[in-house]
Amino acid sequence: MSGLTSNLAPARAPMVLAIMALAFVLLALSGVAFGSTWIPLDQVTRVILGAGEKTQNLIVLQLRLPRVVIAALAGGGMAAAGFLLQKITRNSLASPGVLGVIDGAALGVVIFLALLSNESNSLVTSIAYQPVAATLGALAAISLVFILSGRQASSAIRLLLFGIAIAAVAKAVTIVMMLIGPIYRTSQAARWIAGAVNEINWSEIQVTALAMLPLLLLALIAARKLPPADLDEVSARGVGLDLPAFRVLVFALAAALTSVSVAFVGGVGFIGLMAPHLARLLVGRNVYAGLVGSFLLGAIMLVAADLIVRVAFAPIEVPAGTVTAVIGAPYFLFLLMGRQRHDG
Amino acid sequence: MTDSAMDHRISVDNLSLAYGAVSVLNALSLPILKGKITVLAGPNGCGKSTLLRAIRRLHRPSGGQVRLGDVDISTLNDRMLARQIGLLAQSPSAPDDMTVEELVRLGRYPHQSMMQPWSADDAAALDRAMAGTGVDHLRKRRLGSLSGGQLQRVWIAMVLAQETDVVCLDEPVNHLDMAHQLDCLDLVRQLNADFGRTVVLVLHDLNLAARYADRLVFLRDGAIAASGTPEELMTEATIARVFDVQSMVITDPVHGRPLCIPLRTQSSTIPA
Repeated sequence: MSGLTSNLAPARAPMVLAIMALAFVLLALSGVAFGSTWIPLDQVTRVILGAGEKTQNLIVLQLRLPRVVIAALAGGGMAAAGFLLQKITRNSLASPGVLGVIDGAALGVVIFLALLSNESNSLVTSIAYQPVAATLGALAAISLVFILSGRQASSAIRLLLFGIAIAAVAKAVTIVMMLIGPIYRTSQAARWIAGAVNEINWSEIQVTALAMLPLLLLALIAARKLPPADLDEVSARGVGLDLPAFRVLVFALAAALTSVSVAFVGGVGFIGLMAPHLARLLVGRNVYAGLVGSFLLGAIMLVAADLIVRVAFAPIEVPAGTVTAVIGAPYFLFLLMGRQRHDG
Repeated sequence: MTDSAMDHRISVDNLSLAYGAVSVLNALSLPILKGKITVLAGPNGCGKSTLLRAIRRLHRPSGGQVRLGDVDISTLNDRMLARQIGLLAQSPSAPDDMTVEELVRLGRYPHQSMMQPWSADDAAALDRAMAGTGVDHLRKRRLGSLSGGQLQRVWIAMVLAQETDVVCLDEPVNHLDMAHQLDCLDLVRQLNADFGRTVVLVLHDLNLAARYADRLVFLRDGAIAASGTPEELMTEATIARVFDVQSMVITDPVHGRPLCIPLRTQSSTIPA
């Protein structure tokens, strides 16, 4: 890992970021162009600029563009959260999943589906409240992690262990509820848990964007304090950074980013692990470049995953999260094995 | 170094500190003279590292205070304190893929803010620190590729770049071989002489302490057992009282400093 980064001068980071941004735009356009009917790229551009014809307007603006946009936001948000966590824990295997946030959100969704269904298996309320339930579940899980860890919350490893424990409990309860629940709930919950970006409308995107923007700004502000956070606690405090307090703040920020990201699309796995890791390999140690690069790569990954499920499995809607898991799990194993060699 | 900074001097007043129910420092008072090297020494568990950390406000005292000039350090914010007192931790750590320059730059962190990004002053301080510690040629090297001695120099460079009037070092030669111990402490003395920094050192080795200290402070059971010049403190009686060791103290024929030859512990039954 250090071998690759050391060959990249920091001056190359802006170039790498520009290439990522370009790749993202091309991928997003293809994401809109591909589908049950192919819409050529020039016509996609025309629709986006407001000069398209009626059917194409409908397909592009109401069906395809929303899922591309939400995929970009959710993938980017999770990757940014993963970047913050990997930096603050000084551990490249940390990811938003280990905070208990995603499993807490999943439990929120399952409880929502269970409590608000009637005897004929249909929801007594609008499915639009499902993200609210996810967010509440996420908040409950991370609050529990912080409350239980108490004074130990400033220790990265302790907090991660509490997160893993809470995640395991949430996962167990989720499975029990899915097993004893009716079919509708089970398949709906399974969709959320796998992570899918279809059935998204613009107002949901608006909510996600409005919640995520301030969090991303906070992340950029917090990034200034990330370099001294690379040091041990005593040395960090020696140069004026109260590391324990800062760590709690970054954990909370990452948890918030994750819950906003997963609220609508569900628990897309491994992007929060892979994207920041790759970003650091590509752009080097600069924290701002790392944060922006993580967001771009996360966006690219989820948009690409959604494109793959649409092209490969049409007309069945397979959750995009299955693709990220299929690619992400081996990547995680690869990282683990590489690490074992380092540790000896 | 600014002129106003020359007024600073640390005084520890009636400082008490406890870890939970265990009392570590008991109403301890100590002046730290400006521009001098003060070495804290004493047997294991005497509280010397705790005292150093309390001076740098890493521990909250249960009583008393530490004053920097006339200011109680508990009233300073983290950045202001970090601009006045630097600290080299006992076992500092940083990622292996961090470069030397990156690490030394972190010494400038307390001088920067959102409104005050990296400036020419910071760059000049960075260059001074790297030149002063002789690590300039290592600038682009990764920390993981350095030897133990080089790494310790780089950490000292980071603390130097902070440009604080007071520098605290917690057992800086612990893991170094004899050559690097001397090298490291010579460097500290040179920084004290050339940059006029007030230095507070925790050292385990009595003879190294006697060789480099202007003022020597012996701690025992959380209190000051003795303080003074090395010549005043390095007596057979004092060493026996503080360390429970019978010794012979001679004058180092090369440096003229007192040199302790330990004979046996006072509880020992084996004849010397």
